[in-house]
Amino acid sequence: MRLGLGPIGLRGARRSELERLAVQAVASSFDAVWVGESRAEGVGGGLAAAAMLGQAVPIRVGAVVDAGLYHPLHLAEDIAVADLTMQGRSEVLLRLTTSPSSRYGASTEPGWFDEHLHVLAAALTGAHIQWTGEHLRVPARLEANQPAPSRLALNPRPGQPAVPIWIEASETWIDDLARQLGFGVAARWTRGGSVPAATGRWPGMLLCPPNVNATDLLIAAGDGAGYFMVEARTPDEVSSAGRRLAGPLRMPEFPEWISD
Amino acid sequence: MQSVPHRPDHHLKLYRDVLEDAELADALGFDSIWLSEHHFWFDGYCPADLAVAGAILGRTRRLGVGTAVVLLPMHSMQKVADDAATIGRLGDGRLSLGVALGYRDAEFDGFGVRRKDRGKLMDVMLPRLAESCRSVDPPVPLYVGVATAIAARRAARLGLPLFADSTMSVAELREMLDAYNAAAAAGGVNAPRAHALQRDVFVTDDRERDWAMLMPELRYMRRQYGGWSYPQEAGESVPAYVHRLDADIEAKLKNLIMGDAGYVSTRLREFEALGFDLIVCRSQFGNLPRKSLHRAFKGLSRVREEISQ
Repeated sequence: MRLGLGPIGLRGARRSELERLAVQAVASSFDAVWVGESRAEGVGGGLAAAAMLGQAVPIRVGAVVDAGLYHPLHLAEDIAVADLTMQGRSEVLLRLTTSPSSRYGASTEPGWFDEHLHVLAAALTGAHIQWTGEHLRVPARLEANQPAPSRLALNPRPGQPAVPIWIEASETWIDDLARQLGFGVAARWTRGGSVPAATGRWPGMLLCPPNVNATDLLIAAGDGAGYFMVEARTPDEVSSAGRRLAGPLRMPEFPEWISD
Repeated sequence: MQSVPHRPDHHLKLYRDVLEDAELADALGFDSIWLSEHHFWFDGYCPADLAVAGAILGRTRRLGVGTAVVLLPMHSMQKVADDAATIGRLGDGRLSLGVALGYRDAEFDGFGVRRKDRGKLMDVMLPRLAESCRSVDPPVPLYVGVATAIAARRAARLGLPLFADSTMSVAELREMLDAYNAAAAAGGVNAPRAHALQRDVFVTDDRERDWAMLMPELRYMRRQYGGWSYPQEAGESVPAYVHRLDADIEAKLKNLIMGDAGYVSTRLREFEALGFDLIVCRSQFGNLPRKSLHRAFKGLSRVREEISQ
């Protein structure tokens, strides 16, 4: 089981607030701290903010990123470079949001996201890629651009052999796409709901409210693993969540008397 | 952050190094550190300046961080604007954004943009980006990377300061500033009088020793930029092409300012007199040995002190 703090929204956030929460996450035994962009509100820079926070704490730092709004190679480059600045400690949760599409001129069609995520996944492998789809052609191999090679590769590559990437699967087709590409699947916590099934090496992720309790999370995980991202908003909430959740998530039949 | 053929390194080390360099620059009292961008190059030339800027702002407390430059026509303008606004705020106003056209066909092609459209794209994107940079809290200072009078006129019409290319001679800089000021006057724009300039600078107390050390790095850097600017022509043999690139290298090397702190200060004052109040000195060429690079940084900090007096 893994325990993450966040996502801490970047709208109006100050560095000192982010660092205070992140430092408290370390002191409360969280495995990771996450920040979240929201491009519908004009708040970008999720990966750059994660790179910033990665300098303040030694644990893993994740970014919730809106995907499909701009070229997937730029997203792959941001992921690779943010991961390098953190010495291979980055994690990413992709959201396929459709609301900011008018600001970015992006499509909301499933086929659009499908192509964007295929190119992203291919680029992050370090392969010499070529993609020809309905929406994307990579490299474009345009007559006007010469000389240009017929394939390209992401350089530099991320520090980790595979950056852990999840997709928030709000619809079945997104869940299917995530599994097809080998990305993890994330879902919002609901009472009685389950952790999404693991994909390859990534456990399913649940996005949880701050007051969630360990018993409910263990029931949600069933016989499998789970990555629980808890949206605690104050240092006290972070501390409380860490005390309540870290022990029971890490050891079956956690003895309650140990902390009484 | 380049893993060059003659001095390869893992990028995990190169990125750790650049963060240490930024800490040193902060401690030595430099005003800012600047990052440049290129894409899909085998040595891992940094393609995501704002991600590195975030890390540097996280590692330092005082130092400014700038992009020199984001190749705007290859990007989503909205993405650059939204990223810069967030990082500028988290960095307490220490982020500056430099943008320019870009020139390498393979990079444009990777992102599905026609290189020949870059000027038109810049005409559309730059005013919107400028408006965004002005309207956020704190505002993000925006510079326009230029190497030609056409680009300078575009910046002048928007009242934006210039970030002049490192290879321009004093005469070319004068000509460009004249074009800039004339365009601003013609448009009734109250354009800034102070601009930024990049120069290749290496401060040394042993020119002979460091010249020998620098040459492979400088030749690599200049051959790379030359190859991107002047691609091999159809039917041109490799030896003929290399000969052509070498001629370009020799011409560009003349712009290198290398010497002791007193000499470098004198040379940089020439540019200050032209109207450049921010001089970005590039001392990392390729992947210099750390000890030599840090010695040059310390020398450059003495130059900064002399010029500031």
